[in-house]
This record gives sequence, structure tokens and C-alpha cells, in this order.
Amino acid sequence: MVLHMENHQASLDAAFHALADPTRRAVVSRLTKGPAPVKELAAPFDMGLPSFMKHLRVLESDGLISTEKVGRVRTCRVNAERLAAAGSWLSEQIALWQARTDRLADYVETQMSRSVEDAG
Amino acid sequence: MPAEDSELTISRFINAAPAVIWKAWSTPEHLEKWWIPAPLECQVVKLDLRPGGGFETRMRDGGGEFEPHVEGCFLDIVPQARLVFTTVMTEGWRPAEPWLALTAIITFEAEGDGTRYAARVLHKNAADSQKHDDLGFYDGWGTTLDQLAAFVERLG
Repeated sequence: MVLHMENHQASLDAAFHALADPTRRAVVSRLTKGPAPVKELAAPFDMGLPSFMKHLRVLESDGLISTEKVGRVRTCRVNAERLAAAGSWLSEQIALWQARTDRLADYVETQMSRSVEDAG
Repeated sequence: MPAEDSELTISRFINAAPAVIWKAWSTPEHLEKWWIPAPLECQVVKLDLRPGGGFETRMRDGGGEFEPHVEGCFLDIVPQARLVFTTVMTEGWRPAEPWLALTAIITFEAEGDGTRYAARVLHKNAADSQKHDDLGFYDGWGTTLDQLAAFVERLG
């Protein structure tokens, strides 16, 4: 079970390429609480605006957030549907194969003889 | 999405020799016991273990008709070591448009008294895999909402 959770989490991280970076994770985390302007999002981070904008572009190109500029203010919001969909399909596939592998292990370990002779 | 976002790898130690696990994979009566979770029933229709050989399993929920589950063909077979199948082609390498395009690479490697068993599964992309949900196929695990909640919690 521990192995399962570790794999599960590791694969989720892999699935969310855009979220592999702590800055981008923090941005998405903030945006799950509601839309925010770029300036506010950038404030907690010790980096220049051009660097921060690069992170936003990664999130936007992966469809996890969308941005909209009104006047001089660019507002970001999380794409919840995309987040949910991406989370569900791969983690579901991981769970499927993990469970299938565990059933195979349980089956051969408890239902089948371990001897190679019997395996022929 | 980059390729690594649409593939997964499961690896675990199984306390049985590669030959025994191979038998569990390559014998229909055995495969039916573990391929699909109970209470769903599994029926192995094709298990032709050679490149281009058909691989087809069907599933049934509560005594109704057996319905499509996996239909594809094998690409590579090395007894007790490696088994590769895809759903983008059926028997005899005939092109197909499956509800879920995948290629699964299963490997068996002796480790101590047992086997290191690994499944690497490649998908086309996230949007394609999403059809899995849309078509209502499931093998009986967690819900989207629970996973999203856990995910968001982890982010928090």
C-alpha cells in the first residue's frame, strides 16, 4: 500500500509536467482559491517578472490556467476542468494497472504453485 | 502534452518464479482470474502469444452479456521475460480505432527467489484517454472528484 501511494504520487507528479516546478505548483494552489492578477501572484516569489511570466506561460500552454488582460491588468484563473480531467485519467490508469498487478501477484502467490515444474 | 505525461510504469516484486507468472499470463483460465477485478467476470477470447497474434478479453457485470474490454494484438513475445501488446491494432496487425489507445510493455526479471514484474503503459495523450471516462468504461476504482480533492489537498 505504501508502495502504491508512492507510485501514485510519483506518477501524478509525472503527469503534471507543468506542476513539477514548486513555483508553478504554488501558483496553481493559489489559483484554486480564486482568480488573481499576475502582480499579486508574483509577489511572494523572489524572482524577476520575466522569469515569473515564463512559469505562467508553461501553465497556460499546458492548459492548467488561462489568462485574460483587461486594461493594464492580466488576470489568471485555474482551469478546473483541465486539472480534474488530467488528474483523473492518468491516476485512474495508474490505479487500474497497479490493482491489476497486485491481483496478479496475489493470484500467483496464493493460488499457484511456486515450483517451476508446475509452471510448464 | 509531453510523452511522459501520458505514460505510466508499475513495478513490483512478486514472490514467484518468472515461469509461474508467465503461466498466469499465458493461460486463459489463469488470466481470467486476475485480469479484471471481481465481481466483474472476465472471458479470454484471444490469447495468441506471437507477434501479430490476437489479444481479446471481454467482461461481464452480474450475469449479463459479455461486453468488449480489451481488443488488440501482441507485438513482441519472449516467454518468461517480455510481453508487449497494443490496442491500436488487432489480430494480424489490422489497424483499429480503440476506445483507449495504449501499448503495454510487460517485463519479468528474476530477482532473488521471485520476480521483478513491471508494466509500462504508453497512451496517446490525455484527451484520448479521457474517452475512457466518457464511454463509461471502468474497472471499479476511485472517483474523479476524490482524486481531484486529494490532488488539490496535496498542492495546498
